[in-house]
Amino acid sequence: MSDPRLGVRVFTREEIQRRVEEVAHEIDRDYRGERPVLIVILRGAVYFAVDLTRALTIPFDLDFMALSPFRLGLRRAEIEKDVDVDLKGRHVLILEDIVDTGLTLNFLVRNLERRLPQSVRVCSFLNCPVRRIAEVEVHYFCFEIPDIYVVGYGLDFRGDFRNLQEVYALYDPSGRSTQVLKQMGKGR
Amino acid sequence: MGNFSVITVSREVESLGDEVALRLSRVLGYELINREQWMALLEGHSPALSPEPPEEEGERERWMAEVGRLLEELAEKRAFVLLGRGGQKLLARCARAFHLLVVAPVPVRLRRIMERYRQDEVTASRILAEQDRQRERFLLRFFGVDWRNPLHYHFVLNTAFYDVEESCQLVLEAMKRTRPPSSGQQESFFTREGFLEKPVVFSHPSEEEFARILDFYGIRWLYEPRTFPLEWDSEGNVVEAFAPDFYLPDFDLFIELTTQKQRLTWRKNRKVRKLKELYPEVKIKVVYARDYEHILRKFDLENNHE
Repeated sequence: MSDPRLGVRVFTREEIQRRVEEVAHEIDRDYRGERPVLIVILRGAVYFAVDLTRALTIPFDLDFMALSPFRLGLRRAEIEKDVDVDLKGRHVLILEDIVDTGLTLNFLVRNLERRLPQSVRVCSFLNCPVRRIAEVEVHYFCFEIPDIYVVGYGLDFRGDFRNLQEVYALYDPSGRSTQVLKQMGKGR
Repeated sequence: MGNFSVITVSREVESLGDEVALRLSRVLGYELINREQWMALLEGHSPALSPEPPEEEGERERWMAEVGRLLEELAEKRAFVLLGRGGQKLLARCARAFHLLVVAPVPVRLRRIMERYRQDEVTASRILAEQDRQRERFLLRFFGVDWRNPLHYHFVLNTAFYDVEESCQLVLEAMKRTRPPSSGQQESFFTREGFLEKPVVFSHPSEEEFARILDFYGIRWLYEPRTFPLEWDSEGNVVEAFAPDFYLPDFDLFIELTTQKQRLTWRKNRKVRKLKELYPEVKIKVVYARDYEHILRKFDLENNHE
């Protein structure tokens, strides 16, 4: 990619594919004999959800949820698109693109728990615990990332880069992201 | 009636709230302000005010202040019953206003819709769900209140058990017996959700912004609720202390927000380190400028951030 807004490549297509399959196996194992409801959080998690669900062998129901984005003038988060299935007594697995502050996810989990499911778990493509503010448990994740801003594979910057098949750090003129990634053994 | 020259009536769809409001206005001789009167009142104001709160937040805040002032002035001159319109919020600070919520269980309201509009159960339930949702969204969106929260009201009435006349008698009795809150308490009784008693004066705009993000996601917070002594002189006087910006009770977590450049945060870091040493049971997270930028970027707020 030659876009100047992109920095170091963080995860290649092969790395992503491998980890998604590994996580799918974990989910297959943990939900054997069950039919969980997989709730994809729009819009970022769509790319991850497509690959993950293709790698699953257990039966599942797929549904989608969208939360109003934070914007000035809107005082409270609202569910803009809700699931169609009744979650009462069901095993729910939330599919997210990234869990960082945990604010959105915490809101969603609280909302879903009110619907009396048998369980609610979280599966995220990326997990960034150093940025966590609201407590949430991420049961499955493909990669843990440090405090850097990443794009691609569903993750966007102002609507761009979602369709990249690999994950990149956003260009950071301070050089900090590159440094952090070097420590992870990542570089261009 | 007693100390109250105004009654605000918030009501669920088909809860008999409209009928109770009308009856109260007749019994007490109070003017009834329903939708038509509301429009006339606001459009007749100079300069004219829109009957609905504006979408844009700044304009809406101004609108709320202006309409609140208009209603408070009106309450000084006339007695009235205000039906809906977010009256419980607009007049939350007005000691002359009695706030009433009228509710009824869903099956009761459903039956009333079926009878009133001669609809089958399916159609009636759809109408009810749609109208409930509209009302809920209107108040949450424009006034930031969960309007069914009983703490916004002096009195909550369930009309499953009483007809309109009995309901009115109960409200009148409640108004007679309600002691006005002592000076300054009225506001905290009705305007704040969560743990806050008073409006907060933030020492930095970023803190206010952060509080809005927390509010948006329904995360309860306190602002600078505790000061931790860090150092004492030989006589036991506190010579150094640290008050983290936020406390999130649901996570038992203190948050210190700093928008200083990383290299200037050494003093704060030292205090946080000391706090952790002296109070190992306390959970604290420092949100540095970099973290905060990430949050703003994530919420597309960069351009609004000073």
